[in-house]
Amino acid sequence: MFLEIKDLSVKIENKNILKNLNLSINQGEVHAIMGPNGSGKSTLANVLAGKEDYEILNGRINFKDNDLFDLNIEERAQEGMFLAFQYPVEIPGVNITPFLHSAINSKRKRMNEDEIDNLSFAKLLKSKASDLGINIDMLKRSVNTGFSGGEKKRYEILQMSILNPELAILDETDSGLDIDALKIVTDGVNKLKTKDNSFLIITHYQKLLDYIKPDYVHVMVNGSIVKSGGSEIAAEIEKDGFQKFQ
Amino acid sequence: MNIQNNYQKNKKNIFFSNNKDVQNHREKLLNIFENDRFDKKNNESLKNINLKNFIDFDYKYLIPEEISVINNNQENSYSIVSVNGQCSTFKDDKIEITKILDEDYNDFSKNDTIENNDHFVNLNSLFLNSGFKIVIKKNNNIKIKISNIITDDDLTIFQKNNYICEEGSSLNLIEEYENKNNSSSNILNVIKLEKNSQLNHFLIQDNSPNHNLIITSHSSCKKDSTYTQKVYNFSEGYVRNFHYSELIEANSEADLQGIFFLKDNNTSNNKTFVKHLAEDCKSNQIYKGILNDSSKATYFSNTHVDQVAQKTEGYQLSKGILLSDNASYFSKPELKIYADDVKCSHGSTIGPIDENAIFYLRSRGMSKIAATKILISSFINEELSSIDDEQMAEIIQKKLVRYLSKVK
Repeated sequence: MFLEIKDLSVKIENKNILKNLNLSINQGEVHAIMGPNGSGKSTLANVLAGKEDYEILNGRINFKDNDLFDLNIEERAQEGMFLAFQYPVEIPGVNITPFLHSAINSKRKRMNEDEIDNLSFAKLLKSKASDLGINIDMLKRSVNTGFSGGEKKRYEILQMSILNPELAILDETDSGLDIDALKIVTDGVNKLKTKDNSFLIITHYQKLLDYIKPDYVHVMVNGSIVKSGGSEIAAEIEKDGFQKFQ
Repeated sequence: MNIQNNYQKNKKNIFFSNNKDVQNHREKLLNIFENDRFDKKNNESLKNINLKNFIDFDYKYLIPEEISVINNNQENSYSIVSVNGQCSTFKDDKIEITKILDEDYNDFSKNDTIENNDHFVNLNSLFLNSGFKIVIKKNNNIKIKISNIITDDDLTIFQKNNYICEEGSSLNLIEEYENKNNSSSNILNVIKLEKNSQLNHFLIQDNSPNHNLIITSHSSCKKDSTYTQKVYNFSEGYVRNFHYSELIEANSEADLQGIFFLKDNNTSNNKTFVKHLAEDCKSNQIYKGILNDSSKATYFSNTHVDQVAQKTEGYQLSKGILLSDNASYFSKPELKIYADDVKCSHGSTIGPIDENAIFYLRSRGMSKIAATKILISSFINEELSSIDDEQMAEIIQKKLVRYLSKVK
């Protein structure tokens, strides 16, 4: 199994968020998690990425035959996990280009691959940015600083396309996007889809799933997956809301 | 040895000791020390200082055997090596450098600072043993680099330098303090900017742990003049940076900035004070500090706007990153405004490095240490990228890399 989450319970500041959560993802699959506010979707994304604010009460997560809890945040990224943040952090003074260059090389180093040189990286970055309709001038700016909501999300997808992760977790990437931006972002995601790359897409709305077709849809309520199935579930939620799952 | 005994024993070797007026003034200062001592409770600027080092010292001064050399290799560019605070005399059509002489007591014995009860400035007046005067002549644009060298261990340098930028002149002044011996320097720079003159003053401080540096400056700006000061403190020994500026005529500007990088048990005390005494003047006071291990720092910023100083713009900002739970940074901004048409602001933020930013960078594959270092560099990126002088930018960058190499 590519990613297997077994009986995961997690708390933060004495509040239990995830409760015996189970989820399995195979290579090449696209899974969507839908759920109401406060159901624990972002917590799951953060726990997978390794955020250290949470206390793991029980359960295990296997990722590519590794016990995920044995890997720190950067090791998870270097192993091919990528979290597109719901609220990308503004980091004034850190220029996008050298930051991304350093990020890709840290991954290549772990994979015993040669580092990518400045020129090749600049070419790669330019071509990926152009695919996503990102202005070259934006690459001269500091990470997420002064970006609009849409720019931030687009920039998350740019990072994803550069780092080419094996498992991409998209945490409400559709929030704050207008319809044109949503199309650009989802096109970017679809371009990355191969038989080797898996996606975990967290969203409130079916709209995103009109553009990125999931293989499986899960409904998350109160820290657990309460129903799994195909894209018909998304349509059901769009029609009736989350009430009937609670 | 206490201050009184030090003075009585060494007064013959201190400048202007034969002058009656100076003697009387010094007797008064000695009385102040007798009565006031160093009152830590009522003087926040003495916070975190180990006073013993400054009260009970053994006065020692050596006149350098070889007086400094002044080079004028490139046009409009001069390099000076000041040895034990002394400098040789040099004159051309653009600049005049004179070492301190006994007959110059009028220039050197006055207390020109805004604050009269600064004990360290008073000590400088009491024990004055070195210094020089530099005059930039009218309408010249020049660059001066001064390397401050101390020749022996245990020297106590009390130095006063006078800078005069004549009308229409422009000076880029780079001062380096890189002393590796066990000595202490108490330096007072008095800077006068005449009409339409400009001084960009850079101070690079990188002394060893056993060297104490107390540096005070007082600048006064006449009409249309600008004084910019940038302090980079990488010292492993104690440094006190107290800088005062008076905007005495209209449309003048003072920009006092500093960055300090502290580690181990080191301490640094910082103060900037801008007095707006004329209309249409601007000031900036910005200090940033990075504190590791058990280091401590203070920063006091003051803007005083006189009632005649309408249309004043005065900004203050203090920022600090604490890299350890044991580090501390005390910052206190003050504004005293007596005019009614002014724009003034102050701000202060001190805290640990942003954990969300660290998580974001690590989630892209950067190690925690690399993420920490990149965030420290970004914290001062604006200040570093604004250095126009390539050679200086390179020097500062190297020192930053050295500081970051110790960050765990």
